[in-house]
Amino acid sequence: MTGSPSPRNGSNPSKEGKVDETRRRILKAAAIATAASTISFAVVDREALKKALVPVKLEDLLKMAEAEGSDLERRAAEKTKLMKEICMKWTRDLCKKVGENSLECKEAKKRCEMIKVKATPPKPKTLYAMALDLNKCIGCRRCAYACVMENNQARNLHIEWIKVISVNREEFPELLGSDMMYTEAPKKERVYIPMACMHCEQPPCVMVCPVRATWKEPDGIVVIDYDRCIGCRYCLTACPYGARRFNWTVPYVPPNQINPNMHILGNVIRQPHVTEKCTWCIQRTRDGGVPACVEICPVGARSFGNLLDPDSPIRRIAEEYGLFVLRPAAGTHPKFFYFFGPSRTPPQPKKSPDATQGGEGGGKA
Amino acid sequence: MSGLRDWIETIWYIIKEAVTLGGNWRARIVGLGLLIIGAYGLYLWIFQQHAPIFLHANYGGMILTGMNDSVIWGLYIAMFIFWVGVAAAGIAFGIAAYVFRDKEFMKFAVLGEVQAVAALITVLLLIVVDLGRPIRALFLMPLLPNFPKSMLDWDFIVITGYLTINLIGFYVTTHYYRQDKALPNKFIIPFITIAAPFAIGIHTVTAFISQALTARPYWNSPLLAPAYVATAFAAGPAILLIALYIAEKYMEGIHVDFKVYKKTLYLMIGALVVGLYFNLSEVQEVYWYTTEPWKRAQWNVALFGVSVPYVAVFQWLWVAFGVAAVLAALTPYVRNSKKGIVITAVLVTLAVIFEKTLRVLVPAYIPDPLGQWVPYWPTPLEIAITVGVHAIGILVYIALAIPALRAVKKHYFEGAGAHH
Repeated sequence: MTGSPSPRNGSNPSKEGKVDETRRRILKAAAIATAASTISFAVVDREALKKALVPVKLEDLLKMAEAEGSDLERRAAEKTKLMKEICMKWTRDLCKKVGENSLECKEAKKRCEMIKVKATPPKPKTLYAMALDLNKCIGCRRCAYACVMENNQARNLHIEWIKVISVNREEFPELLGSDMMYTEAPKKERVYIPMACMHCEQPPCVMVCPVRATWKEPDGIVVIDYDRCIGCRYCLTACPYGARRFNWTVPYVPPNQINPNMHILGNVIRQPHVTEKCTWCIQRTRDGGVPACVEICPVGARSFGNLLDPDSPIRRIAEEYGLFVLRPAAGTHPKFFYFFGPSRTPPQPKKSPDATQGGEGGGKA
Repeated sequence: MSGLRDWIETIWYIIKEAVTLGGNWRARIVGLGLLIIGAYGLYLWIFQQHAPIFLHANYGGMILTGMNDSVIWGLYIAMFIFWVGVAAAGIAFGIAAYVFRDKEFMKFAVLGEVQAVAALITVLLLIVVDLGRPIRALFLMPLLPNFPKSMLDWDFIVITGYLTINLIGFYVTTHYYRQDKALPNKFIIPFITIAAPFAIGIHTVTAFISQALTARPYWNSPLLAPAYVATAFAAGPAILLIALYIAEKYMEGIHVDFKVYKKTLYLMIGALVVGLYFNLSEVQEVYWYTTEPWKRAQWNVALFGVSVPYVAVFQWLWVAFGVAAVLAALTPYVRNSKKGIVITAVLVTLAVIFEKTLRVLVPAYIPDPLGQWVPYWPTPLEIAITVGVHAIGILVYIALAIPALRAVKKHYFEGAGAHH
């Protein structure tokens, strides 16, 4: 190449025309190549490409996540300090109000000491699901209260991850005529539907988030990174189950009621102007427990388990009674299932007219 | 190298004219008023942002707005939808001028670019005041973390892109006209080729944000994007025409040909009729036979104002003003005078404000997915912040229109362009 006379400096017009042609061809090829690579770059799913290019074993990933140096672990350690600071500040205010020796003040101090923010990674071969027996639910809202206490929800904002709605039995799958403000329950013509995050297979809230502040973990839990959320509330708009809540101002939790068992993606005390929702008590379930709502339910309407485990209660319920989801038309494939179990609480009168009369009479007597 | 110096001088020229508002006392008084309103709006926003640094107190937050967990977006996003449309439709003048080479539109195409810049600045400010954590967004959004899935990432691209294109268009046009030169084709052709699809794109993306959500049946219709674009092409040119009328009245030496008025009237009335027709089509789909009860409940809110009466008022005012504008345009007395056409333009603008602000937004949240009927009323603070943002937008419009129109005057009414 270097030996041949440079055509650029050549004065031969006929040669110059030829060279121009080649140059044009090269440029054309380059342009096509650039366009093709740009298009393929845009079209190809980059995550999938990365996975294909770098073979990663799940065990390695878990090891990485468990290692002390993992990003989430490091952030969780920082968060522990921050949570303790916030708690101590609230405790000082509380103690000033109620006195140093009061029970509340001591309790608050104890809880502040105990605060530990975890970053427990998902367990392998796990896909969580929850099922709720609508025949058993009595609409007592105890799950909602337990959830508030367990997950450090802002008391000043009255945030509740679980909303129990009551619908006429005849209208049931349609939720339009719902009543949330009922004061007496259970009533036999109503059905009570506790609703929270459905942890969908294809969560619209994850798709719409402009900054990837929310995502689906491998064990099926949809989580939010509170440090990344920009507060645009697009996810609240996109959720067909009304599961997400927004911290419209600085959240406050009485320090003597703080739950010190925290997970960085779950129940750490929230910041103002970020969104939050049910995480199936990630701080409990990842350590082998069950969510607080399951534990507290006085009628045992809820069951929680691993869908991939053939012995889990969810699988048994699915086989015995059949499960369904609310609003299937939304197309999000929830993993929060409902079913109508074998018996109603309170038990319904027998169908035979004699039995009904006898039963009522006996009750009155 | 003198070329480069000219380009730098243009920047200096724009800054000088924009800051001094062309030395026009009337414009300065208006500008000062707008500046005060805008500054006050910004001050109020500090309360909404709960900024302890400024307030030295744990006070405030977005709880001071009327928005809640049921009605998640409010007045800010409603106005955002309207102004994106106005920004998009400024391109109508650009297309008439640069594609169809209409000589009269050629003179004022730059005003469409100015309008787009002003409207987009309003739009960006409305987003900023609506965000809970704008500082995080400032750092995260330019990285487009969830592109191409999230429509908000698309929105970020098209809005910043269209803003850049229009700033370039405004700058280049002002540069040439200022020196009494005609716009070269090497600018016009690439500019309009890129700007026209972007213009339609910004408003399409605005609709795409909401129309694909199964959670909001009121929006969940493929007609939303076309309906947005249709009414945008009514309101955008209408506002542009009003601005031209004001410029003609208060700036000496500017004359707008009647043809500009007439053709703009045809465009906006045509677009308005399409918008009204789309509305009819949507109502037919919801009410004729049967439909999803949730969707019909939300349309009941829009048409009859269940729990938020003002929405129904807006809906019917949109229809009334729209029909009135069409009828006015059919009247020879109105359509043959500048004043008549400008009054029609005001009617069209009002009609589209009624259509595309709260009417298009609020019913999507009432009833919400849990079946709650939570009403939404914007709080005084929210309204004041919105007014402040609009004051800044109008100020930008005036400040950029003055250098642009002065340059236009120099070329088309005093210089070489006048002899065509």
